[in-house]
Amino acid sequence: MAADSNAERMTAYLDDALEGDDASSFEAWLEDSPDAKKEVEDLQRLLSVVRELPDVEAPPDFYDKVAKKIRRSRGPDPNGMNWSLVSMPFQVLSVIIIMVIAATYLMLELDRDQARIEKDPSAAKAQEKAERARDAAQRKGLE
Amino acid sequence: MNAEDNRASQPSAADSASVAGSADAEPELDPAEKKRRDARAARDARDRRLVRRLKQGDERAFQELVHTYQDRIFGLVYRMIGNRQEAEDIAQEVFISVYRGIANYRGEGRFYTWLYRIASNTTKNRLKYLKGRNFHRADDIDESPAAHTKGKDGGPVVALQSVVHGPEATVQGNRLEQAIQREIANLEPEHRLLIVLRDIQGHTYAEILAITGLQQGTLKSRLHRARLALKVRLEPYLE
Repeated sequence: MAADSNAERMTAYLDDALEGDDASSFEAWLEDSPDAKKEVEDLQRLLSVVRELPDVEAPPDFYDKVAKKIRRSRGPDPNGMNWSLVSMPFQVLSVIIIMVIAATYLMLELDRDQARIEKDPSAAKAQEKAERARDAAQRKGLE
Repeated sequence: MNAEDNRASQPSAADSASVAGSADAEPELDPAEKKRRDARAARDARDRRLVRRLKQGDERAFQELVHTYQDRIFGLVYRMIGNRQEAEDIAQEVFISVYRGIANYRGEGRFYTWLYRIASNTTKNRLKYLKGRNFHRADDIDESPAAHTKGKDGGPVVALQSVVHGPEATVQGNRLEQAIQREIANLEPEHRLLIVLRDIQGHTYAEILAITGLQQGTLKSRLHRARLALKVRLEPYLE
């Protein structure tokens, strides 16, 4: 492997990427360069620690979140997958439930209003008064 | 998908060279190297099948691709950025970019390097954005990293115990891991990328050249500078 600078050679050496003569000539050069030798030793120590870092795992629900974001995103699907159809039944169901609740509420409210009118004492009195007046008029008519 | 990602969809010369290099196999290969090449060929064939199915609109192929690469992409982003939540968001964005941009992927280079190019570009773009917002990734580093990591066999692992000896191995090992993570996240973005790709995830030079589009000499000298910068930052912990 051709290496045209000491930094590149050092990197290749640390990665076991120097072949045959290149590796031995680099080691010979290190013997004559105490500073470079110290640097190589320090870097070897660093790499032994960094390379021990464990693998990191994505969260278990990673795919679900990606799929959810794709479904939520707007615009046409370039791959022809109709993600919106997947969520459509839920949307339709939600609208129907909301409409049923609203209709039930309205009907209950109307019944309650009618009951309130029927139970109004002034209305009952007025109705009684009207009946008496009607009876009196009928009696007068008979006489 | 941004312009940089679009460029990522074109196979680089280095990528083609590495593929061509693998085709022109040396006359003698040691068994370990042969095994690695066979594994890589099998992985590439599987990726090609998945990409073909994804282009045909097969949702399961996308799910399989995500499950195959989610840990590696999340690991790359997390090690570069140092914040779990931010890393998850970026990794999700990477796969969404893949999903939307798969039509632009012509299959001339390896899917694996194309995916990594998108991941590294997306992460670097986010780092620029976060830098403008004075983002500090250290908030996340105090959490126990061992809780989110796995050993080579998929089982739990206590980080860096083999490096730190003695009765306080677990505590010191976790502290050292946190320090390494913190100091990597303080390097320049390009240096972080090279350290993570080469020294943490163990990619070959050919793979890194294909991902980054660097020349081999530039890669080695830049990797050297990245290692020196990390060494200076970690000196207090390594003494």
